[in-house]
Amino acid sequence: MMTFAQEASSSGRLITVILFTVMIAATLGITVWASRYTRTAADFHSGGREFTGMQNGFAIGSDYMSAASFLGIAGIISLSGYDGFLYSIGFLVAWLVALLLVAELLRNSGRFTMADVLSYRMRQRPVRTAASVSTLTVSIFYLLAQMVGAGALIALLLGIRPGETYLGMSADTAKIMGIIIVGILMIVYVTFGGMKGTTWVQIVKAVMLMGGAALLTVLVLAIYGFDLAELMNDAADASGVGAAFLEPGQRYGVDVAGDAWQTMINKLDLISLGLALVLGTAGLPHILIRFYTVPDAKTARKSVNWGIGLIGSFYLMTLVLGFGAAALVGKDAITAQNAAGNTAAPQLAEEVGIHFGGEFLGAVMLALIAAVAFAAILSTVAGLTIASSSSLAHDLYNSVIKRGRATEQQEVRVARLAAFGVGVAAIILAIFAQNLNVAFLVALAFAIAASANLPTILLSLFWKRFNTTGALCGIYGGLISAVGLVFFSPVVSGKVDAEGNSLSLFPAGVDFSWFPLSNPGLVSIPLGLLCAVVGTLLSKERDDARFAELQVRALTGAGAEKAVVH
Amino acid sequence: MSSSHALHEATDPPRGELQARSVTMHDDPRFKELRSRLLRFVVPMSIAFFAWYLLYVVMSAYARGLMGTDIIGSFNFALVFGVLQFVSTFGIAFWYARFANRRIDPLADELREELEEGVR
Repeated sequence: MMTFAQEASSSGRLITVILFTVMIAATLGITVWASRYTRTAADFHSGGREFTGMQNGFAIGSDYMSAASFLGIAGIISLSGYDGFLYSIGFLVAWLVALLLVAELLRNSGRFTMADVLSYRMRQRPVRTAASVSTLTVSIFYLLAQMVGAGALIALLLGIRPGETYLGMSADTAKIMGIIIVGILMIVYVTFGGMKGTTWVQIVKAVMLMGGAALLTVLVLAIYGFDLAELMNDAADASGVGAAFLEPGQRYGVDVAGDAWQTMINKLDLISLGLALVLGTAGLPHILIRFYTVPDAKTARKSVNWGIGLIGSFYLMTLVLGFGAAALVGKDAITAQNAAGNTAAPQLAEEVGIHFGGEFLGAVMLALIAAVAFAAILSTVAGLTIASSSSLAHDLYNSVIKRGRATEQQEVRVARLAAFGVGVAAIILAIFAQNLNVAFLVALAFAIAASANLPTILLSLFWKRFNTTGALCGIYGGLISAVGLVFFSPVVSGKVDAEGNSLSLFPAGVDFSWFPLSNPGLVSIPLGLLCAVVGTLLSKERDDARFAELQVRALTGAGAEKAVVH
Repeated sequence: MSSSHALHEATDPPRGELQARSVTMHDDPRFKELRSRLLRFVVPMSIAFFAWYLLYVVMSAYARGLMGTDIIGSFNFALVFGVLQFVSTFGIAFWYARFANRRIDPLADELREELEEGVR
């Protein structure tokens, strides 16, 4: 049997390229259309607040089900079994925090950014600066991880392996081209289409993603006569570890025989990761600004429920896809293509296509799932770019530098420039980081969001005494502890495999690590909260009237921003 | 909204009539009832789902033997527990929406209309 890459180099690659082109053309069409309706600041930052609950729910799903989550979780399940599922559960349960505690209150009290709520009853400039620093850090880390992944992924999806060339590109050139193309497209979507264009691109992607995943799930189950138990047993047999493949412990919280210390660290690391996943989502700026794109709090609630339904069904399908890839493609074929398992889903698509309709259908299925993955990359990076540009324009430029005196036209112009700047910076950083192991940046982004953003948002809304010093200490304390602990963890330096190759960001031989956990959440989340509380009590500032006003506005929606009428 | 209109309220939300009414409203028994209804639902529910999730993660780390036991046919405890996390998430989301539609929205709308009347 030919390998995935050789297969892809024939007709499949042509179909993949055609589908990529069709999708780029369609999304650019949407962007041109949306740009005609993007005039005011509310249009640019919040898409005019006119989206329905269902539309925003699809866009929420799209922001969240990045390529890292689609290909990554299927890949983890295909290689490590059950633990990939464990990961996805944290991602899903997290939405209850957003639904019950954040979405509606944020929609009612804020305007364009996370900082609107944080600074509502505080001194504007310092708090907005802090919120903006946190927004940019989270978004750029997340963006960087997505873009570095995207470059490698596009090379893989086109089936270009080291040593080969396609359209005159080697694998390395294709990686860089991939990063540049993704970067340029996201800049175009955001600068021209604003939130309206970005949202519609995301809705289209969510429909494609759900459709593609559903089709593949049904086909995999059909091969097993819709007997899930048989599929799982087959996956366990093929994995080489047997029943343990269907249990936790292959990847997270690994038991190390004879090393009680390392076993304890591994298990604490799992709990730390679990905490960051479940508490991080409701503090991710690119997720939070989605709640401003609907007319009112009730629609924000509906959109989260749509999001929960879509994301939940998607992760349940991913379980079938991951086990399907383990059983039908096999560990060796997956790791031969990509050590992290990122191509498990496309490889499975090809295998299933061949099973039902021979080589040609295999090529078509592969191209289809590759196109879905490409769409997944594009829409998530666009969401991250608009979150960064809105914060730069609304918080830093208008509120901090111009002290709130910029006109709408000025703010939108700066937002467009900021999107361009963020995009160019992300392209350059991603090219420099392309050979580094940056997958940890996604978990770090969640940990920062959980440590710096969520506690301060909740304290703003519910603690009367909370004040400027508390907000600043909470944001910077959570941010610095999460980033600092990871910097001194084995993720950055000092971790080597049995052959002495570095498993950290820095090469082998460099070791300045002292914090044993790879995930800082277990320490940084309580620390962030503690900083916010201590900071508050150290300052005499309090404004009970302003708190009363914020709470009434958050709960009743009185004075909340209305949808734009065109 | 004209495009030359300054975004001053972005950083300094409008004080005045609505603000004064909101501050008064904060002590209104109806607002206190609204807040207490919401908190009586979301606080216990948040604690419950968080504890339920944490139990799942802690058991995944420390109760490997139990998690690996087959309980429904050849499906093990870990898989059933995991699927139950999905079921509880969907259930709580549905339950909250029903609760908010019936017990929160009508009262919130009444207070909002009263606060905004004649202000905008």
